[in-house]
Amino acid sequence: MVADVTYLGIRHHGPGSARRVVEALDALQPVEVLIEGPIDLSDQLPLLADDAMLPPVAQLAYPKDAPHQAFFWPFAVFSPEYQAVKWALAADVAVRYIDLPVAWRLPDAEAEAETTSIIDQEAYREPPQDDMPGQNIRQDPIGALAHAAGYEDGESWWRDVIEENPDPGPVFAAVTDAMTALREQEGGLDRIEAAREAHMRLEIAKSAKTAEGPIAVVCGAFHVPALKAKHTAKDDRALLKGAPKVKIMATWAPWTSPRLAFTSGYGAGVAAPGWCKHLWENPGSDQASIWVARIARTLRKEGQVVSTASLIETERLAKTLAAVRGRPRPGFEELRDATISCLCYGDPILWHLIESKLILGNEVGCIPENVPAAPLLEDLQKQQKKARLKPEALERDLSLDLRTESGLFRSTLLHRLLALNVPWGKLADAGRSRGTFREKWKLQWQPEFAVQLVENLVYGTSIENAASGRLTANLSEAQTLPALADLVFAALTAQLPLAAQSGIDRLGERAAQTNDCRELLGSLRPMVDIIRYGKARKTDTAKFGTLFERIATQGAVQLHYAARNLDAEASRAFSKILADADGAIRLADMNADLTDTWVSALRKVTYDEQAARLVMGSASRLLYQAEAMSPEAATLLLERMLSPGTAVADAAAFFEGFFEGAGQRLLYDEALRDCVNDWLVSLDDDTFMEHLPLFRRVLSALDKTEKKRLLDVLFGRRSSGTGRVLSEHADALWPDHFEALKEILIKGARNG
Amino acid sequence: MSDKLRLPVEETYAAELAALKASDDGAKPVGWAMSPQSVVTYLLGGKAKDGTEISAKYVGKRRLIETAVATLATDRALLLLGVPGTAKSWVSEHIAAAVSGDSTMVIQCTAGTDENQVRYSWNYAELLAKGPSREALVPTPLFRAMEMGKTCRLEELTRMGSDVQDTLITVLSEKMLPIPELNDAVYASRGFNVIATANDRDKGVNDLSAALKRRFNVVVLPLPDDMDEEIAIVTKRVGEMADTLALPAPKNVQQEVARVLSIFRELRQGETLDGKTTLKSPSSTLSTAEAIAVMVGGLSHATFFAKGDLSAEGLGPTVLGAIVKDPVQDKAILEEYLETVLKSRRDYSDYYSVLTELL
Repeated sequence: MVADVTYLGIRHHGPGSARRVVEALDALQPVEVLIEGPIDLSDQLPLLADDAMLPPVAQLAYPKDAPHQAFFWPFAVFSPEYQAVKWALAADVAVRYIDLPVAWRLPDAEAEAETTSIIDQEAYREPPQDDMPGQNIRQDPIGALAHAAGYEDGESWWRDVIEENPDPGPVFAAVTDAMTALREQEGGLDRIEAAREAHMRLEIAKSAKTAEGPIAVVCGAFHVPALKAKHTAKDDRALLKGAPKVKIMATWAPWTSPRLAFTSGYGAGVAAPGWCKHLWENPGSDQASIWVARIARTLRKEGQVVSTASLIETERLAKTLAAVRGRPRPGFEELRDATISCLCYGDPILWHLIESKLILGNEVGCIPENVPAAPLLEDLQKQQKKARLKPEALERDLSLDLRTESGLFRSTLLHRLLALNVPWGKLADAGRSRGTFREKWKLQWQPEFAVQLVENLVYGTSIENAASGRLTANLSEAQTLPALADLVFAALTAQLPLAAQSGIDRLGERAAQTNDCRELLGSLRPMVDIIRYGKARKTDTAKFGTLFERIATQGAVQLHYAARNLDAEASRAFSKILADADGAIRLADMNADLTDTWVSALRKVTYDEQAARLVMGSASRLLYQAEAMSPEAATLLLERMLSPGTAVADAAAFFEGFFEGAGQRLLYDEALRDCVNDWLVSLDDDTFMEHLPLFRRVLSALDKTEKKRLLDVLFGRRSSGTGRVLSEHADALWPDHFEALKEILIKGARNG
Repeated sequence: MSDKLRLPVEETYAAELAALKASDDGAKPVGWAMSPQSVVTYLLGGKAKDGTEISAKYVGKRRLIETAVATLATDRALLLLGVPGTAKSWVSEHIAAAVSGDSTMVIQCTAGTDENQVRYSWNYAELLAKGPSREALVPTPLFRAMEMGKTCRLEELTRMGSDVQDTLITVLSEKMLPIPELNDAVYASRGFNVIATANDRDKGVNDLSAALKRRFNVVVLPLPDDMDEEIAIVTKRVGEMADTLALPAPKNVQQEVARVLSIFRELRQGETLDGKTTLKSPSSTLSTAEAIAVMVGGLSHATFFAKGDLSAEGLGPTVLGAIVKDPVQDKAILEEYLETVLKSRRDYSDYYSVLTELL
């Protein structure tokens, strides 16, 4: 007996079709549910019944020997496939996939470049907004039809046209009709697509032969006409020749709602997972009101004042807009336009602020503990073997020479693990010795690292991809330049050019947004480390150099504004940043242009009457040290700053800035010393006492002999270096001594 | 041909409006001359149902015009916001003409506008002779629009004092204008609505109070997206103005327009034209209208002081004046732009040196 087959053509990840699928299954009560999905992953489906499995999750498959070539089939709670599987598992009905095995999808040489890298590269980019309908007609034919009808959102179109269609008749039949018409205009399918449909036809026929009751087939609407059409089994089998034979591993991975927005697996990404979830959760007539309320809540979280009355107006406007556009009820676009007009005061920027939170959401899925081992652990084991490093619970030291292949490989692996929050190795001298070719690590493996590693599955399936994904995610959250620069540094040391590039882009953006001179200058130090380290690691840092130059220039332009109106604490912090930045700029040793800009910025601060005195002092010290200020000019400046006309507090601050950590200067430079001396002597007792800690601090940098020498020079006791002192009357005495010496010498010569 | 310099748009475009009205089969809100769909067609151009060609009055996003028209259909007031030169008044005039068939009920709001010019004033001769009465009351355009159920336009709403602006609150929310002197009130007829325009970037305007702001639906009209289109607009307008002022136009006008506009657009959009570098935007508007003013200023300088030679030296000071409105912040932003972007562009070296020198 041949069973009845019902075809449920769906829109992948369409909440509208998900609801209809559940209704149809309830009505049909099939004995078997067949779903479009790789047949060799069928045995993974029962895991979805586990209570600990919370969507969004993704089924993932990868060749055993190449975990980085992974494929994902993501499921959201509103995915029709997910709902169909859940229905079947709850009703205790057989459920299986019927599409080609995974191995067919493995890239031949030509498609090598695509596959997983798409996921990791595109993961955090905006989804394309205005796809040409023709391009994705196969992946999302309903979306394409909606586009053609002037809708931006396929779900609104589905609801307005398919479900609200006044003509009676089952939804699925209507969809099939639309697809039949659409496919007539489409050209032929490529080989894989044709093989997929042939495979599905054969599997359906196989089930139909044995089943004792109706069968439901849940597949993309686009395929329904082809699955229904008559083909001989012989032709279909001919299409399936030459199946690749590769051992495939499969498991589940937690997924996130932003990642649902990207094409993978079914090839149908969801443009707005947040909106779809909303549609799924709120099927009632108050759909628009609930969405508007969610918008309001998000706006309020952003600190906007949103009144209830405005919400009412928003909904009214959305309804009128729908009427103007000739649509039965407001959809995503109407609600968006109304929100911009009523709640955001016409300002789209405010909308963009909440857009991604609203339409992408920030959900993370969960998978139960008993799912098969994750590819990340396998990848780690392989890499450990290759690096000849064993995970050991006892701490041991490892010294690496980055100039050797193996050293670099090991270091890269450890850095990547660090990026994945698996601190197997700790960098022993994580300080400033970054320019060197050596790294010292302390290795110690903890059992919980395995768990921490598996958590990263959401970012990628190989250590490299996951580390890159995780850093990219962190980068998109980091707000300040120094934090970004640190992350870029981490990406470079872990040899993750994609993450590094996105970090460099973010740095550029942030540099343009920020006005904060401290932030700009503060990032120079880590950036110069990156440039120097990049040289050791054979990384191309040329672009980075341009960025460094730009940030330094920006910082220099802002410098003299930033140096104003600072209190004591702020100016102390600022002068430290200033010194660091100066060091970084000299270390980077860029072109003369940059150094000139920097020097003239420092000079501006030095001669800016409004600048904080401490900063002014630091700036002039930096100039003096770089020999961009002559000793005479420095003396003149110091004299002016320490002259009686200046308030003592100001003078002391300048003094501190100029001599902080540079007290030795006083030993050698008589003119400077005299200035300081005059000033100190001119202070009255109380003021002197008040500033005593400051003087101590400045002079504490001198060691014992230096202090003694300073005292000596101050009190005119010229030290000859042997502890003996030249007599004051030496000039007068010397001729007599000379005579006596000469006599002795001549006498000695005669005797000799 | 009329001897008036300019007629109200409902007369200029009478034929188009008549064609749309005649063939309109959409549902009309009470008091409207045509359906909202036809209003949108009138603004954006297209074909009336009887085949009459409708010219485009506004070139830009359809969404915005749809939102604006839908707003009026909900009996909410519409506020058109935007920098100078984005066709706010033009759009408001055309919408009023299409919706009410009458675009002449306008209140030009200025710092000198008082409540009497918004609500009603008195004919003092009548007032003294007969005491307070309806006959002694002089209605304003707003008053008349309420009585007749038409659209009232408020031009440059934010230029009038905040206390005067707030007179509108009752009118907008309760659709009623009280006349306490007569213990009476005007209740708006169906079809009454308000379109206000305001400039959101100028300094020295009176911000809308929160209470008033939330009684408006706001549509922001953006600056032109397309560089070539903007260059064409500026070149055309500069040519026209040069003619009126009898200034001879040198050959390189278009070239200089392109260079000045690219500086303006980069600063305005906060990124370089190639999209590679993000920048900060100054507090100034840098609108198309300002670009026109800068070019005309440059032309006048060239004619009278530079032997007809239009160059960066002549344009520099006006460009600087257009960009730097806030002496501290904008200066820093411009300085940063000059150092990080313009310095490395060889074909802008004259602007770089002139502007750096002026700073």
